[in-house]
Amino acid sequence: MILTALADGAQHGYGIITDVRDISGGQVRLRAGTLYMALDRLRADELITVDREEIVDGRLRRYYRLTPAGTKLLADEAARLQAHASVALRRLNLAGGMAT
Amino acid sequence: MTDQADLERAYRRLLAWYPREFRRENEQEILAVLMADAPDGQRRPGLAQSADLIRSGLWMRLRPSVPRSARTVRAAVRLMYAGAAVSTVNLILLLALIGDVEIYHAILRHHLTAAQVSQVSTLFITVCILWDLVPIAVWLWMAQACGRGRNWARIVSTVLFGAATLNLTSAFNWLPPGNPFDPRPDVLRPDPPGAVLAGRPRRGVAPVAPRLQSVLQAAGLHAGPVARTL
Repeated sequence: MILTALADGAQHGYGIITDVRDISGGQVRLRAGTLYMALDRLRADELITVDREEIVDGRLRRYYRLTPAGTKLLADEAARLQAHASVALRRLNLAGGMAT
Repeated sequence: MTDQADLERAYRRLLAWYPREFRRENEQEILAVLMADAPDGQRRPGLAQSADLIRSGLWMRLRPSVPRSARTVRAAVRLMYAGAAVSTVNLILLLALIGDVEIYHAILRHHLTAAQVSQVSTLFITVCILWDLVPIAVWLWMAQACGRGRNWARIVSTVLFGAATLNLTSAFNWLPPGNPFDPRPDVLRPDPPGAVLAGRPRRGVAPVAPRLQSVLQAAGLHAGPVARTL
């Protein structure tokens, strides 16, 4: 979900939280602790990196973006999920066709 | 404005659960996110938000910082956490049994009277708890050090593992005579339950003394007849 949120471009922490909420249709609500635990792991695995830092209203805002490895991982995972979804939909349509 | 200051102070206190080096780099950023995510008028962190920050902070303290490619080190760290978990289970079992005076009779081999046992029990309990807390703390410390790539931690934990194994072996000697782990053939062996119920002890064996029977039951062992020690 976090990688998907960054697929459009660099985002800061709060931006990722709101984006994940939108992507999931309000079903996933990331909390700050969970988010920064995940960001730390993704940075350690070199899937994301810090893009830039800004000070807004006296507060630090750090932007993250996907690395080439992160982009590839997200693309591979999306393709895998799409393949699974296609098979599931095809079989469901087949089952529906047989039933009628 | 006061609400904001109160909330920020409360969040700073929760962020103290995180390691210092992580806080130095990320505290301001996380605070900005927490404050942006808080509804207007909120003065205290919510329960779920607090639990999330504490859980994440603890995880950041315990997680290995070596890269994922160092698989043997990560496996060693996991084993050390398993060691801490086993020690914790040991402590829980100890706390569950510690109130039973009969256990002291079993451990001290009936050398003390009940009055003497009650006198030494506080000291005994304290020593037992400390004896079990130390390995938990050492396992966690070793796991943290090993996760940060300290090679000495692996050597120390190997020694600790050897000591824990010896400790486990010696623990069998503390069990009441005739326990299922007792290798001596001339003491108690579990008797078929039917014989016990029928009150017909086997030839060459005597019924278990009532007090020893209750000790064995307290220790979760089968209280069958005990053979005479030759």
